Amino acid sequence: MADEVMELTPEMKAAIGKGGEPTTYEVTTLGIRTFARAVGYKNPIYFDDEEAKKKGHPALVAPPGYFGMPVFNPFKQSNRRPDFESPFKRNLNGGTAVEPLERVYAGDILEAVTTLTNLEIVPSRAYGQMMIRTSETVYTRKSDGKVVAKTRGTGLSY
Amino acid sequence: MADAQYWDDVSEGQEFTNVEASDSQRLVVWAAASGDFYQIHYDDNFAKGNRLPDIIVHGALKGMWIGKLLDEIAGEDGWIKQWDVSYRSMDIAREDVTVFAKATKKYEANGEALVDFEVGTRKADGSVTTPGTATVRLAKK
Repeated sequence: MADEVMELTPEMKAAIGKGGEPTTYEVTTLGIRTFARAVGYKNPIYFDDEEAKKKGHPALVAPPGYFGMPVFNPFKQSNRRPDFESPFKRNLNGGTAVEPLERVYAGDILEAVTTLTNLEIVPSRAYGQMMIRTSETVYTRKSDGKVVAKTRGTGLSY
Repeated sequence: MADAQYWDDVSEGQEFTNVEASDSQRLVVWAAASGDFYQIHYDDNFAKGNRLPDIIVHGALKGMWIGKLLDEIAGEDGWIKQWDVSYRSMDIAREDVTVFAKATKKYEANGEALVDFEVGTRKADGSVTTPGTATVRLAKK
């Protein structure tokens, strides 16, 4: 919790509306099956390529909300610094919205860009003050340039 | 598992549910699927060291359970237009979680047969920990 009453700094205000660097996500058969297993899907189009093709899909189908995994490379980390220093050290995931626009398939490579859409510091009964960040992430398939989904997130810092 | 629905057959007020187990193995599989390896979800000692009574269910997994229920209702010929959830309180692991979607509005717009839902996850005591809303396009007969 911040000890002093905080207001948005000029750096925080300037960060609103800014998009981050694109992140590449790989959608793999292993990733889809692990996700479908974890969530408990029973539909074979999320597990079996042949069943997916029988239903007219070109490849194994990703369940709604699955956009693959970011490509992990410890030797190629972003050097970009955060747009502002947060005075709040603890973070909570406040909520998520998913807007699926196109089917996602195994083999897709998606590029995700997250934009900070709003930032506010509000009074909190439990913590004195908290910062609410809202953001939107747009996932675009590299092979055809289609936006396959948008997600919106709310982060709480206190 | 919920059955796929035709728009014609859904009534406002109708509720669909799934019951999901939240054992530690499932949370570990979700950690691998999502890349969320925060130990409060699978390490008893770590969770208790953070003043939690036990490991807790990932908020994102609860959100995706809701997505799965909506996907089952939509079936092959329907489509989830959107769903949103708020993570309001914790679900302690190893307890069953009821996932629900209650139809609140049935209508047609821009040539699509749509149903709005109130969605969420419910604990055994009836409290809703992950409330939200959704809109699903359903096939017509």
